[in-house]
Amino acid sequence: MTTAALPKQKAPVTRISAESVPAQAFADLLNGARLYELWSRFAFHDIRQRFRRSVLGPFWLTFSMGILVATLGLVFSALFQQDVAKTLPYIATGIIFWGLLTSCINEGTMVFISAESEIRNLPMPLNVHFYRMMARNVMIWGFNMAIYVVVVVWFGLMPGWNALLFVPSFILFLINTAWISLAVGVLSTRYRDIPQLIANAIQVIFFLTPIFWSPAALPSRPAFVELNPFYHLIEIVRAPLLGEVVSQLSWGLSIGMALAGLGFTAWLYRRAHARIAYWV
Amino acid sequence: MAHISIENLTVEFAIFGASSRSLKNQILSQATGGRVMAGARDIVTVRAIDGLNLEINDGDRIGLVGHNGSGKTTLLRVLAGIYKPSGGAITIEGRVGALFNSHAGMDPESTGLENIYLRGYMMGMGRREIAAKLDDIAEFTELGDFLRLPMRTYSAGMFARLAFAVSTAAHNDILLIDEGLGAGDAAFQKKVRQRIENLFDRTSIVILASHSEALISEFCSRRVQLEHGVLKNAA
Repeated sequence: MTTAALPKQKAPVTRISAESVPAQAFADLLNGARLYELWSRFAFHDIRQRFRRSVLGPFWLTFSMGILVATLGLVFSALFQQDVAKTLPYIATGIIFWGLLTSCINEGTMVFISAESEIRNLPMPLNVHFYRMMARNVMIWGFNMAIYVVVVVWFGLMPGWNALLFVPSFILFLINTAWISLAVGVLSTRYRDIPQLIANAIQVIFFLTPIFWSPAALPSRPAFVELNPFYHLIEIVRAPLLGEVVSQLSWGLSIGMALAGLGFTAWLYRRAHARIAYWV
Repeated sequence: MAHISIENLTVEFAIFGASSRSLKNQILSQATGGRVMAGARDIVTVRAIDGLNLEINDGDRIGLVGHNGSGKTTLLRVLAGIYKPSGGAITIEGRVGALFNSHAGMDPESTGLENIYLRGYMMGMGRREIAAKLDDIAEFTELGDFLRLPMRTYSAGMFARLAFAVSTAAHNDILLIDEGLGAGDAAFQKKVRQRIENLFDRTSIVILASHSEALISEFCSRRVQLEHGVLKNAA
C-alpha cells in the first residue's frame, strides 16, 4: 500500500497465463490478506455507516443482543425451571458465538455477489471482500462481548484457568467460520439457490443445536446433539468462558473439521477463484 | 520501464441462465458482439477475445477502438487482473491502475471527504498518500463546504466531479481507461482537460477504450482496433 509514497522502485513484473491461474489461488488469498489496511478500514466504515446519526451508535448491537439474551434467559430458566444464574450466562455466550458464526455464513453467501461493482471495476484481489466481511463480523462480536462481561460481573462468575483456553479455541472457531464462509461464498456466486438454502438451514440448525437449551436437560444425548458439528464448535468457545472443561470429542471434531474444511475450501478456491469475476 | 506483452490471449466466459438462444439472436450476434458458442445444456460460452497478440511499450498511448461488444472492456479487465485468461498469457511490467467505473467503491451515504478516502483506498492509495493529495482533490472539485455533506445530496454533476478528481489523483505506471473520461459542465471542461494531460504525462502507458474519435486522436499515439475479439487493425 505504501509503495507509491516511496521513491520510484523497479516496476513489479506480473505474468498471468491460462496455465498458471489455478496455482495463483493461494498467492491471491495472501495478497488480499496483506491489504489489511484496506479491508479493516472498510469493515469499520460498514459498522459506522449502519449506525450513523443514531444516539447509541454501534452500541445498538450490544443493546439489541442484550435484550435478546435477557429475554431468552428469563423465559427458558422459568420454562425449564432452572437457575437463572446458570441459564443466562449459558444462553448469553451461546447466542453471541452463534451470532458470529451464522452472520459470517449468511453474509458469506453474498460476499462476492454484493461486491459485483467493485470486483468488476477495481484491480485488486477479490478476496478483499471476504476479509472485509470477516473483519466486520469480528468487530460486531467485540461489541457483543460486552454482554458477556456484564453477565460475568452480575452473576459473580469465576471462569478460572479454563478461560485461558479460550484463546486457542477462539482461533479454531474462527478458522472453521472462515472456511465455511469462503466456501459458501464461492458456491453461492455460481449457484444462486444456495444463499436461500443456507438461510433456511441455519434457522433449522438453530433449534437443533443446544444454544438456548442445554443438553444436560435431556435424559440421553440424541445424535443431532452428539454429532452436530455446530454444537461442538459453539462448545469449544462457550465452555472455557463459563469455566467448564471442553470435552475431547469437541476438540477432536473441531480440529478435524478445520483440517478437512481448509482442504476442501483450498481445493474449491483453486478451481473456482478465477471464474468468480465472471460469475458475479 | 513499463511494458505489456500479450501472447495468444483467449478469454471465454460461460453465461448462465441465457436459456435457448433463438435463431434470430444467433443471426444478429454475427453483426455485434463476440462469438457466442453453444455450450453444454443451458450454458452459453462467449469467446470475448480470440488469440490476441500485442506488444505495448513504454510511452505508448493506445486508443482501443471497436464497436460495442468487440472485446475492449474485456481486454482492459484482463490487463487489470480482474478477468483471468482461458488461453495464452499476459506479462505486465509496472503498477496497473484502472478507471473503469469511477463510482465503484463510493458510498452515497458518506460525506464527500470520506468518499475521497474510500475511493482512494480502493484505487490502491494509502492513508498518507490520500492525506497528501486531499487539498489538491478538494480544490479541484470546487465543491467547498459540500464536501462535508453526504454524497447523496449531490447532483449528478457534483458526484462526477468528485469521482473524477479522486480517480485521477492516483499514480501508476500503467493506466487503463474505459469509456467516459471527464466530468462537469462546459466551464469545468478546461480544468478537466488539463488534469487528464497532467495524468497522462506522469503515466508510462495509457490504454484508452473509447468510441470518441476526437478523444482518441487527441490523446493517443497508437490505434488498436478489435472486432469479435480479434485484432483487426493495429498501427
